[in-house]
Order: sequence, then structure tokens, then C-alpha cells
Amino acid sequence: MIEMLTALLTTAVLSGGVLAIASVGEVMAERVGVSNLGVEGLVSVGAATAALTAISTGNPWLALLAASAAGALGGMTFASAAVFVQASQVLCGLAITFLGVGLSAVIGHSVAGMPVPVTFAPVSIPVLSALPIIGPAFFAQNLLIVPAYFLVPAFCHWLLFHTRHGLNMRAVGENPAAADAAGIPVKAIRFWYVTLGAALAGAAGAYLSLAVIPSWSEGMVAGRGWIALALVIFAGFRPFNAAAGGLLFGLISAIGFLGQARGWPIAAPVLNMLPYLGTLAFIMLPAVFRRKGRRGGQAPAALGLPYFRSVR
Amino acid sequence: MSRFQRFPTAPARRILVCRAIAILVSATVVSLLLAMSGRNVGELARLVLTSTIGSRFGLEDLALFMTPLLLTGSAVTVTRRMGLWNIGAEGQFYLGAVGAAGVGLFVHGPAVLILPLMALAAMLCGMVWILLPALARAFADVNEIITTLLLNFVASLLVYWLATGPWRDRVTDALVSTQRLPVSIPDLWGVVHWGFPLTLLIVGGLAGIMSFTRWGYEVRISGASAGMARYAGMPVSLRIISAMLLSGALAALAGMFEVAGTVHRLQGGMADNFGYLGIVVAVLARGSCLAVIPAALLMALILDVGIVLQTQQVAATVVLAITGLVLLLVAIADECAHYRAVAPAATRTARSTS
Repeated sequence: MIEMLTALLTTAVLSGGVLAIASVGEVMAERVGVSNLGVEGLVSVGAATAALTAISTGNPWLALLAASAAGALGGMTFASAAVFVQASQVLCGLAITFLGVGLSAVIGHSVAGMPVPVTFAPVSIPVLSALPIIGPAFFAQNLLIVPAYFLVPAFCHWLLFHTRHGLNMRAVGENPAAADAAGIPVKAIRFWYVTLGAALAGAAGAYLSLAVIPSWSEGMVAGRGWIALALVIFAGFRPFNAAAGGLLFGLISAIGFLGQARGWPIAAPVLNMLPYLGTLAFIMLPAVFRRKGRRGGQAPAALGLPYFRSVR
Repeated sequence: MSRFQRFPTAPARRILVCRAIAILVSATVVSLLLAMSGRNVGELARLVLTSTIGSRFGLEDLALFMTPLLLTGSAVTVTRRMGLWNIGAEGQFYLGAVGAAGVGLFVHGPAVLILPLMALAAMLCGMVWILLPALARAFADVNEIITTLLLNFVASLLVYWLATGPWRDRVTDALVSTQRLPVSIPDLWGVVHWGFPLTLLIVGGLAGIMSFTRWGYEVRISGASAGMARYAGMPVSLRIISAMLLSGALAALAGMFEVAGTVHRLQGGMADNFGYLGIVVAVLARGSCLAVIPAALLMALILDVGIVLQTQQVAATVVLAITGLVLLLVAIADECAHYRAVAPAATRTARSTS
């Protein structure tokens, strides 16, 4: 029993990291009022770039950096179209997903199926890792889970809710016209936080291809970007909730993995449906049970709306 | 000195011009990238032309590609009219294929009876597949983009499971697909089956429904302004559900035509992104059902480019990247079409006061 729980939680923490990083990034973009539906494509590009860099340079940190840079570049492309030109955010996001998924297959073509030689290997923390169940899950994992579940969400939380700049960011997401009148640079803030979110999506891709599945293959992202997007709504646009949600969904996929490993009499494709069905359930339940008029956990008022400053 | 100002509406001609430029730019970018990777662009362009409109096989292929694109494109268009996005056409396509294959495999009888039954089963499956997102959207305001999309992955896994598990071909023991269906849609011209003209009829009929029926009117008004439609006493929630169900049925019909006309068996991966490309078709068609036809033609041409590129050792998903580029530039072009040069501010004031 203990052994099974340990395995379950360890897999959950490992695989949930991808969702945690990507969805915290998307929280930042959506808080400033931009809905970036391109996450799936950005994670794909990040994963392919990381695998390619790791195989050619042999340095995982360089691979992480390259993946984040690739993600940021994709985010800048999206933001140039969606924030500066003010083209439809839904269309641009879908375009970035198509572009990202397609391009990642092209750039990853030469390393498809190859094992990545250097990965973020597990590091054991002496005393803590001996704890039952949570020890192996949290204290004997790769180092990236610390920024994934704690450092990045903590920084984003602090930035959003404890700084003046964060207040400006939220103002841009809630009421860009008022923010603009108060002298806050609406477009610049939107551009840079979309880029930051995209860089995190790229990093999530690197985490996927360097720590979770140490190789690159077409279709390996398998909708994780979309689950991360759904998670943002589920988390009520809060960084720590998004990271915790990542862990929860890691747990749902871990149940599927465990079932396959233990030879449960359920076919593998059916077990693989679990994360998607779980996401559906968790995105629908709060909407059904949410009391009307209750504030909190609601989308920023200007989310998805382009802001046109009237002529002056 | 004139300057540019954004207008709330864009005339169709400006949009057309801007889009033509966008498509030209994406063609140039793709050619440049191919040239940089050391491929002969002129030769490729010639290959593309001969493999599409330059030969009988090419034209047949184009019609075969267009059939599912027309249906998934109109499926997305119907929800666009309602102001919604059905990103789940891929999943509904799969469910249509499942429904059609289920009837084809397990119900025996003359093709005249079985084929309509297959279409019916397919549409029913597609409607069931979109029912949950539709209800959640209509009554709880749950974002339909994400719910319809997540079901795509479930549908794709379901087909994979059926084709490799319970319904797998036990005769030849091919582990990846069901056995060949006993009935198929008769061929009309070469490999082009009757599904193609039928699809054109459906698209025409849909345009008629959208323009001339009360239901179509209510859907259009609800899509333009839900608040106003409610004020006028229109049942907006019911229109959301019915439009989404119709959308699911159309995408599922694409799956049925593919199973019964082209592939003849159920197999994993058979939707081949047709559902996602339907979104692009709908975007290009800008909510007009009839404009879905030229949009599907353009998309079918892009798919043909992809096939030619595949023969030149370029990854198959390059089509998806090209589509993404076209979509991005078209989105930008649509926004640019809203800008027009206006007379300088001073003159305008003078005119308005006179």
C-alpha cells in the first residue's frame, strides 16, 4: 500500500510539473488580459528545442535556456499580432498552436525517438528523502520541481499581489482604459507578460523532454498545453492554485500510469483518457456549483478583449 | 497628409485584398524557407501544380480532400454564427467514424439501407459527443473552446482503442484497424465518391437554412448580441444547444463519408487534422456557409503542397505549420482591413461643422 502510494505520488509530482510551469505562465498572460491559446504549440517547440540542444551540447541547463528562449520568441510573435496589431486573440493563439506543433516536428525530426543523453536526474536530499511517501516524491526528484511548484509560483504571486507593479498588471487586465488613463503602458505590459508566460511554456516543454520523457517524439505533448490552459480557469487565475492544480492533474495521469504498470484489466488507451476526462470534470464542476455574484476566481474583466485607445 | 484610423467594420473588398496579400506573404515565406534548406522551389511549385490541377489524379485528390474539409468547415461556421468556437470537430469526426463503422460492421443488409443508417448513427454519435460542452456552455457559461478540445483527445483514444481492441480485424489480424466495411459509398468519378456532390448540396442547404429560416435568423441574432436576442424574447440557450448539436452532426458526417467513401475501415489517426483544419476553413469563410467552398478548396491545395513536400523528405506535420502561418497572417490581415486612410483632423472638423 505504502509502496503504491509512494509510486503514485512520485509520478504525480514528476509529470504534474509540466502543467504547473505552463499554467503559472498562462496565469501571468491572462492576468494582464491576454488569452494565449498557443500554449500547446509553445510547449511543443520548447520540448523539441530542449531535446535538440541537449543532444548537441550535452548541457541540460543550456537546453532549458534554449527552450525558454524559443518559447519567448513564439510568445513575441503571438503578442506582436494579438497585442500590437490587435488581431483576434483566439485566431492568433490557434495559429501559434498549429505553427508550434508543426515546426516542432520539423526541427525535432533529426532527433525523433533518440534518448536524451543528459537529463535532469533525481537528486536525493539526505534526511528528508527518507520520509515515508512524501520523501521520495518531493525530496528525491529532479531539481526542477522546486522552481516548478514553489519558486516560480511564489515569485508570480508576490509580483501580482504584493507589488505596485502587480497592481498595474491587474489593472491592465481588468480595465485597460482606466489603466491607460492612469498612465500605465497597457500594450508594453501585455506584450512582456505574454512573452514571460510563453517563455515558461517553453520551459515546461524542456521539463517534459528532459525530465518526464527523456526524448523527443511527435505528439508527445499530447494536449498538456490545453490542460494547462484549462487549469488556469480551474485555479481561479492564481499562481499557487495553478501549481497545485498541476500536481492534482499529475496525480490523475499517475493513476493511469500505475494502472498500466500493474496490469489492471483496463486497456491502456482507456486509462490514457483519464487526464482529459479529469480536466473536463474539474473545469465544469466549479462553474456548476459557483454561487452567483460571488467574487473571487473570476476571469479578469478584460480577458480576451483587444484594447483600442480612442483617438486623442 | 492623410492618416490611418480604425473603423468598426471592414468592407469585404478590403478584407479580400488584405487576405490575398497575407496568403502571398505566407507562400513567399514558405518558399524562402524551402530554398534556404536547399530545395528547388521552382521544381516544387511545378510538382504542386501538376499534382493538383494539372492532372486527373490531382483533381480527384482535391475533391477527396475537400469533402471532409467542407463538412468540418461548415460545422465550425455554424457555431461561429452563434458567436462560439467548436474546436472539437476533430473529436466529432472520430465519433462519426465510430458510429458509421459500428453500423457498417455489425448491421447487415443492402447498401441502400445501410448507408443512410450509417449516416444517421454517425450524426447521432457526433451530437452526443458535443452535448456536454453544449449544455455546459448554455447553462453554466463554461468556455466551450477548452471543453470541446479536450474531448478530441478522448475521441482519438477511443478510436485507437476500438481499432486495436474490441473491433480489431480478426480475419487478417492487422492490429491497427478494423476489417474492411462490407458497404461503401459508390464512386462517381475515379476515386471521388458520391459524398462530394452530396457535401456540396449540404453546404448549399445549410446556407439556405442560415439565411432564410427563423431558426437561422435567431442563431445569427443571438450570435451578434446575446443580450439583445434575450430582450427580443429569443431562447438563446436553446439556440446555443441546437447550433452546437448541428455542428457536431456535420463534423460527424465528415467522419462517416471518410469511413464509408475513402478509408473503408476504422483506424487510429484517421481524422488527419481535418477537424482542426475545419477551423481554418471557417475562419477563411468568415461565417458565410457558401464561402466555405472556396476556403475548403484553398485548404485542400495546402494539403496537396504538404503531400508534395512529404515526397521531398519534409516532415508530414509541416502542413500544420504552414496552416498556422496562413492563419496568423490572415488574422493580422483581417485586423488591418479595419484601417482606412482618413483626411487630417483639421479638415474633418471643418467639414463636420459646415
